[in-house]
Order: sequence, then structure tokens, then C-alpha cells
Amino acid sequence: MRFDLDLPAWKWPFYVMRHPFEGYEDLRWKKGYNMKVAWVIVIAFFIISVASAQFTGFLFNRTYVKVFNIVPYFSSSVILFLTWVIGNWSLCTLFDGEGTMKNIFCVSAYALLPYLFSEVIVIIASNFLLRTEGGFITFFRYLGIVWSVVLMISAMKTVHQYSIPKTLVAMFFTVVAMAIILFLAVLLLTLFQQVFVFGYSVYTELMYRFSI
Amino acid sequence: MSLRKKLAAVAMAAVVSLTALSVSAGADEPYTGYNYDWWGDPIPSQNGFVVDKVVDGSDMGLDKLDYSDKSSTMQAQLKNLSEPADIFIDQKFGKFYIADSKNNRIIVTDENFDPKNTRVIDTLHYGSEFPESTSTIKKTTFKNPQGVYVRTNTEGYTRIYVADYDNNRVVAFNENNEIVMEYVRPSSDVFDEDKTFNPKKVIVDSAFNVYVIVPSITQGALQFSEFGLFNSYYGANRVEATAEVIAQQFWKLIYTRDQIIAMRRSVAISISNLDVDEEGFIYTVTETKSADTDVLKKLNPAGTNIFIKLGYSENTFGDFATRYYKGTSYSSAITDVDVDEQGNIYLLDFATGRVFQYTDECDLLFIFGTKGYKNSQGTQKGTFRSVSAVETYHDKVYVVDNIKNSITVFKQTEFGAIVQKAIKLFNEGLYDEAKAPWEEVLRRDANYWLAYIGLGNAYLNQNDYQTALDYFYRTSRAGYNRAFKSFRIEFIRANFNWMLIIVLVIIVALIVLSYVRKSIRKKKAAAKGGK
Repeated sequence: MRFDLDLPAWKWPFYVMRHPFEGYEDLRWKKGYNMKVAWVIVIAFFIISVASAQFTGFLFNRTYVKVFNIVPYFSSSVILFLTWVIGNWSLCTLFDGEGTMKNIFCVSAYALLPYLFSEVIVIIASNFLLRTEGGFITFFRYLGIVWSVVLMISAMKTVHQYSIPKTLVAMFFTVVAMAIILFLAVLLLTLFQQVFVFGYSVYTELMYRFSI
Repeated sequence: MSLRKKLAAVAMAAVVSLTALSVSAGADEPYTGYNYDWWGDPIPSQNGFVVDKVVDGSDMGLDKLDYSDKSSTMQAQLKNLSEPADIFIDQKFGKFYIADSKNNRIIVTDENFDPKNTRVIDTLHYGSEFPESTSTIKKTTFKNPQGVYVRTNTEGYTRIYVADYDNNRVVAFNENNEIVMEYVRPSSDVFDEDKTFNPKKVIVDSAFNVYVIVPSITQGALQFSEFGLFNSYYGANRVEATAEVIAQQFWKLIYTRDQIIAMRRSVAISISNLDVDEEGFIYTVTETKSADTDVLKKLNPAGTNIFIKLGYSENTFGDFATRYYKGTSYSSAITDVDVDEQGNIYLLDFATGRVFQYTDECDLLFIFGTKGYKNSQGTQKGTFRSVSAVETYHDKVYVVDNIKNSITVFKQTEFGAIVQKAIKLFNEGLYDEAKAPWEEVLRRDANYWLAYIGLGNAYLNQNDYQTALDYFYRTSRAGYNRAFKSFRIEFIRANFNWMLIIVLVIIVALIVLSYVRKSIRKKKAAAKGGK
């Protein structure tokens, strides 16, 4: 642990990216959490996922962009990330996790950075490579994902002060919690829609009655 | 004229021209031509084939023939076709053979269905060529003939093969109606005793091997030698790895032997029809609604599907998705296949009554024909009730309907002819010559994606890579890849100096930057140390 670290807030994500194992300990010690930086990363996540669909070279682009709809990209990036944070917080507060919502949000966002870098490399490289050279694309894609997952494990371990096995179990159940949250959200949305439709039909009915 | 009046005049002119357009565009066809775009979505397209005429028994003069020896009910039925199951066209002599199944006869006619040239075959004789001609029975008739095929050898003698469904045989005879050979049920050690032997379709390759489709057999077509000996099964379908099949493989690990025997066996779906092309390749189709594999296969003499290696077997043949229309779902059930002289493949879809025309590389060209829906019941010209067979002769397509008891003739449109011309030039490698017809195609139908590939190849051939890339974009990944490869090499060659300079500048800048940072850090450290 380096106690002499004195980094500006925006440098912390890059520092933890380069130090997957000790970086988060330093971050915790120095309280390098910064919500603004974290939000910038989350929004970059969203923008890059859209860019990946739009600007990946024709030879490697498998997305249906004939009718482009931004909502699925938003929900599969920002909403998914927020669900992860909420799911993790609700699970780990019950299981002796030390992280607050803000801490979890920050460290999770910082862990996304290698994935975002790899996606940018993939988007750029896919415009210059041939199909036979697709191995590079796959390599960078997996490299980014694996690095991000390692960072995420390290982040969860540090922010909650867990052992490695407990971290892995907590992460697995976070995914389960996310599924439950999304299910309840969809359920709630449908029910509210029905309530709205009911209210609206009562309103139209009344309008017809009184307008005669 | 005031502005308002001018506007009104323009609007009127627009309306008039629009109505005029819609009148001229309202073609006689009961179907709208369509094609599938890059995304697999159906898009409207020009028709490649339109209905020429509908032919029934009276056009062939069947009602003028003498049926006085038959019963009165039979007489009425014999005056027309009755549930015709198959058609074969002898490309060399222009002879048409129609299997008139319920009337137990084969009708031979010509291109124009001229009554003068129409001949009926209903009785056969055991001629001197038949190996068992000492048999006491000298005459025989058909019973529900389902398939017909004709093969002429180099010496010029013709043999007609008929899949005689209810007589459990395939019978081969010459033009004098003398039986030459009968192909019957193989011995029980190769043919399951529980299974019936009802031949439904028959084809013959250039070596006079006979391929017979028996619906109850899933191991493929039965291949007989010229002399009636059973050789082997040919061209079986693969078993598709559905969830059920995988589950069965799992249970087989656990079950006892008796339980495994009692299990429902997962077997491949039997072939429904086949055809042989000029080069001797055999095409099979499988009529199924549940499986996507092996709908169309192109088999070499060893029985290997060469479309697998070419990657075409991954294509979807027929309509891409099941469609629901007024409570009924329609998903393609390919019931017949035909290959014309150019190598184009025609698939007949039983479910929708459509014919799908493909190139020899399995690129979809045209979709035409349709089933008559409830109210019209196929009475309209060009609609069907139940299609059974498709054949081509020159640039016409003949579709047999076994409920309407008629043959519908489709003729190629001007647009279809241009596409064919372009493909012919393209296949001969004359990419530059194919450019003009492809451009004409795009002028008439800007959605026709095969034209973009053709033009892309033409420009690639002229080393105009940028234009080729534009044409290949979202029409062909393989073409784009090829064009991009050349484009990239040329780009690097042209700009190598610049790129080298930029890279060098970046490297130098990085070295300088790191040096500057180091010196700054040293100064800071010195300043701290000084305190």
C-alpha cells in the first residue's frame, strides 16, 4: 500500500485499472470515491454501447440497425449498471458488507474502464481488419471483459472487506437479486400501466357522460 | 394564375398521375412479388414470373378421347386430369409427361399441350426385353402412379420410369409401352418388413441408377442399379439436434436396455422429393415444418451434401418466418425441387403455393405463385389449392395443382429475363459485360440486392475498390471482405510515407514527453528535499 498517493479524482479509475489487486485498497484508504467521475464512466458506457452498434465495421457488425432504437441500449448499460449497484447494496448490507451505496457505485464504475477501452479498440480496429483477422477483435473483447471482471471482484472484495470466496458468492447472488429486481420492476410497470389505462377510461367515460 | 390555383393544379396533376400509375401498376397477378433484404425482412420486388395460362384436361384433348369401355362415373373423371401428382419435361425432345394419378395413367404431350400430340399410356405389356417375359401375365396397368421420370441414353432409346404407388413397384418401359424392368421391394435384410414399399417419386441418373423415394423410409432414397438390384440408401437427412434429441441422449446414459428400446426414437425426416441436374448432382428437398436442416441438399454421387461445405446449408429456404394470417399459420413446406439448364433451383412450397427461384449459389431470385385463400379457393388464374409438382422448360415454369386438376404455366417477365441474362454473364465470369444488365435491374427495382453484388463484383474486377465497397456494403460480407482486402493494400501502398512519418512523430513525441515529465518530477523532489 502506498500511503504517499495523492491523486486527483479523475486519475483514480486509471490507477485501479493498472493495479487490479492493490489499487482498490489504496482507493479505500485515500477515500478516492468520486461520484462525478463514476457518472462520467457510466455515461461513457452507454455511449460506447451505442457506438459499438453504430460504428463497428460492416464485416464485424451483427446488430440490426435498420430501425435504431436507443432504449434497449440505455437499459442494457445504465439501467443494468444501476440494478447491479442496487442489488449489490441490498444484498451486502445484510451480509456484513462495509460499502455504502456511493462506494459501491464508484468502485463498480471504475471497474468498467478496461471493458470500455477494449470496446473502443474493437470499434476502431473493426474498421480496418478483414474477416480472417477477426481473432484480434475477439482477443481484445475477451481481454477487456476478463480484466473488468477481475477488477470487479477486487472492488467488491475491498469495498465490503470480504474474503475471496465470500465475494464470489455475494456477486453470484447479486446477479440473482438483479433478476428479481428487474422482474419486480417489469411487474410494477405493467400494473401501473393497467391502473393508468383504467383511470384514463374512467376519465373518458365521464367526459362523454357530461358532454351530452 | 394565382399561387393557390397553381398549387391546386399541381395537386390535381399529382392525383391524376398517381391514379394512372396505380392503374398501370395494378397487374393481373394475384400475388405481389417480393424478396428478402439483407436483414431478412421481406421487401416488395418486381415479378420475375407471371401467369401465362392455366391448362387442364380439355386443353390437351382428354375429353375428346374414347372412354366407351369404362363405367359412366369413370368416364366423367377421365375427361380431365384427376389429382395429377407429378410432371416431367424431357428437355431434349420437348415432351411433357404428366402422372395423372387417380385416373391411373400417364399423359404424354408437348410444349403447347396440343391435342394432336397428346398420348395416353394406361396399359403396359411385358415385352421381350423384360427378363421374366415368360410370365403368364402379359398386360398390366398403373395403380395410383405418383411419379414419372424419363431418361434417354446416348443411343437414343427412351425409358419411362413410373413410381406405381399402389402397385408397390417402379416400372420402367419404352416408348412402345413394353416393360423393360420392374424395381420392387428389396429383400427383408435391408428393408424393414414392417414398412410398406410405396414408391412416391423416382429419378434416374445418367448411369441409369434409379433413385426411389418411399415415404415410410427415413434412411434416404433407395438406389437401384439399372437391372433392378437394390444398391444402397442414398442421401439420408441428418437428425436435427433439437432439445428432445439432446434430452434423449442424456436419458440413454441412465436407462436400461429395455427402456431405451421402448423410447421414442429420434430419426431423420424422410426426403420428400428429388431432382438431378445436367452434371449429375442430385438435389433433395424435405417437407417439414419442424426442422430447418437439410431442407435443400445438393448431393454428389457419394451422397455427400456439398452445400454443407459451401455454407449454403445454413441458408433458410422458402419463407424466412412463419406467418399468421386469419388464424392459420404458414411456414414453408418444400414439396418439390427442379433444376433448370442454367442451374437455377426452383422450390415449390406446399404451404403457401409459392415457387422460390434460387441461383445455383442459393441466392434468392424470385418468389411467385400463391395459394388461393378461403373465398377464392384458387379459382383465380395463378392461384393454387394444393400444389404437387414443379418443372421448367426453357424459360417457363409449370406448376401442377392436384385439386384444381390443372397445370399453371408461368412465363418469365422482361425483368426476370434481364436478371437471368446478368446472372448468366456473371457465372461465366464476364463481370464487366454483366454490368449493363445489373444496372438495368437496379433502374427497375432498386431493392434487388443481387444486382448490388453483381455490380460490386464488376467494379472489383475493374480494380475500382471504393465503388465495389459501396455496392457490397450491406449486401455481401464475402464480397466486402474481398474488396476491402485490395482496398487496404492499395491504401497502405499509396500512403505508406505519411503513415510512417506520423508513427515516427508519435514515438518521438512520447519519448520527449516522458523525458520532460521525469525532469519535472526531479525538480519537484529537489524542491521538497530543499525544504
